[in-house]
Amino acid sequence: MKLLVVEDDETTGNYIARGLREEGQSVDLVADGREGLIQATTGNYDVMIVDRMLPEIDGMTLVKTLRGAGNRTPVLFLTSLGSVDDRIDGLNAGGDDYLVKPFAFGELSARVAALSRRPQAMERESVLRAGDLEMDLIARRVTRAGQTLDLLPREFSILEHLLRRKGRVQTRTMLLEAIWDISFDPGTNVVETHISRLRAKVDRPFDTELIKTVRGAGYRIDA
Amino acid sequence: MRSRLRSLIRSMPLRLALGLVAVFAMVSLLSFGASYVVTQRSMEQQMREDLVQDIAGFRAAPSAAAVATLVRAEAESTDPERMVLSYFAPNGRHFGNAAIARDNEGYHVVSVAQNGKTVEGRYLALTTGLYGGQLTIARSRSEIEALRRVFLNILVISLVPTFLIALSGAVYIASRSAGHVDRVGRTLDRLTTGNLGARVQPERGWSDDLAQIGAKIDQMAEAQEASVASLRQVSSDIAHDLKTPIQRVAVHLDELSRNPSLDGEARDLVDRATDELDRIVAVFHALLQIAQIEAGTPRSQFAPVDLAALIETCVELYEPMAGETGHQLVAVPREGPVAMVEGERNLLLQLLANLVENALRHTPDGTRIAIALRQEGGRVVLDVADDGPGIPEEERDKVLRRLYRLDRSRGTPGSGLGLNFVSVVARLHEARLVLGDAAPGLRVSLVFPAGATRDKPAETAEAR
Repeated sequence: MKLLVVEDDETTGNYIARGLREEGQSVDLVADGREGLIQATTGNYDVMIVDRMLPEIDGMTLVKTLRGAGNRTPVLFLTSLGSVDDRIDGLNAGGDDYLVKPFAFGELSARVAALSRRPQAMERESVLRAGDLEMDLIARRVTRAGQTLDLLPREFSILEHLLRRKGRVQTRTMLLEAIWDISFDPGTNVVETHISRLRAKVDRPFDTELIKTVRGAGYRIDA
Repeated sequence: MRSRLRSLIRSMPLRLALGLVAVFAMVSLLSFGASYVVTQRSMEQQMREDLVQDIAGFRAAPSAAAVATLVRAEAESTDPERMVLSYFAPNGRHFGNAAIARDNEGYHVVSVAQNGKTVEGRYLALTTGLYGGQLTIARSRSEIEALRRVFLNILVISLVPTFLIALSGAVYIASRSAGHVDRVGRTLDRLTTGNLGARVQPERGWSDDLAQIGAKIDQMAEAQEASVASLRQVSSDIAHDLKTPIQRVAVHLDELSRNPSLDGEARDLVDRATDELDRIVAVFHALLQIAQIEAGTPRSQFAPVDLAALIETCVELYEPMAGETGHQLVAVPREGPVAMVEGERNLLLQLLANLVENALRHTPDGTRIAIALRQEGGRVVLDVADDGPGIPEEERDKVLRRLYRLDRSRGTPGSGLGLNFVSVVARLHEARLVLGDAAPGLRVSLVFPAGATRDKPAETAEAR
């Protein structure tokens, strides 16, 4: 994947670039809005990570300009504020996702991965599979190793969400947004408790662990 | 419609106009009445003089016989309905076109009969003794009576249309200015509820005083908008200036934690520093969010929110967590129509989450936490009640303050901003926050304003 990072703070910019490169991505890092705009229009990027407050041209204007020129590259905004207004402004300007500083690298990485695969058409599969687990979306039935699992509707949604994104980490906040439509961080371990309930049904009675915890990031079902 | 009519009737211009119409009507009626009286008097006077003249004419005759002849001749050509001539000669014979019966009341009643026919009407009569006989001449007052009809007609033809025109003009002006007043009122409403972009924008054709008030309001709103914008700029600058170093510390801590040469104790220190940093960020976020809501987060983001579905989501979200600490979290089923309120869903959900987390944090294991929705006098009330230790009455106001914590809560985690956030979000929604006694335990009630509820649209669904 080819990524562009537009971040004026050197420490943060280098940290992001280094982290993403360690994951095997190709990263260009620029420190101001004008440079960012030039890079974005000349390079062919899969995802752009743009700080909202930038010297020369601010992040919002940068993305608006790109969108105006027909550039549809997914944009992840980095922001200091993170209020409802701020989020809506960012999304209206053409941003695709939003990350409030300070963030854990795992969160950024997971969101970049999600953005890069965004245009995927929602596969119209009726059965999702992972290892010996099968989810029948029509009958809304889940079996593992031939055993039927009795899941609550919300547990079913979480499992379905992870299964549809096999191999990709889903962070707590991503799950909160996707499953409960919550854009704030409840601050306590609500997601953990839901996952542990889900695990008690999906993993505990079996030998292999399907839902993996990725330290400092979130959860994943391996492909 | 009805209230609009009422406000129209109470409006200043209409009252002024109605008052003017009333004064005008009174003056017109008075002057009309006066001129009627004057005209009538002068006509009557004229009639009297005519009668005196008539009598004088007969007095000129040399004898009773001559008078009788004259009366008879005159009576021939005179309609008794117009004028009555009557002469009782000294010999008792009666001449004239009618006989006048005189009773105790004098000349008021004049009854005339000719060929057995009685003529009705009001007359003015003059009687005089003449050559031993008695001459009476009476002129009909019908002309004077006709005068009244003429005056009434003039009144109807001239005055009534004037009244109608004045009245409809008044209603028109009043309703127009009521519209202007309405616009001023609505602008003020929007301004007070946080929409600082609202303006009156008085147009040409507004009355001067209203236009001035409107312009002043616009001026005030502009100043307020500017100061709020600069406040926001300051808070966003502060946020940025603080977030950058916080972000750097987070980066350094993360890099440090990846260092494989760290021993156990150092790693422990890094983890603790990371936790503390998370706490700093949490408090900072909460403060920033509260400040932004207080600075007037535009209510333009408001949309109908289904409170019952919100409660369901919240209970569903926290239920596993409550289960882990042995708490019981339930949504109390509600009868009646589903309540939709105008609001910002995420803020309301966060409010609810804060209340639930508070209850989970500050009550012992096994406590039951119930979220209920009820109607109270046309208002929607949302209750979060627990059967825990509650909050002493004298402390209830204080816990809503920023960073205030009960003494017994000092050992538990939490920023002291949770309930303050709740009260700020409640205020944004114009809802009243009431801390009460659930006997036992604490009941936090959110009383939404009467106008905030809506009927639930057919196909709104919160749950996924």
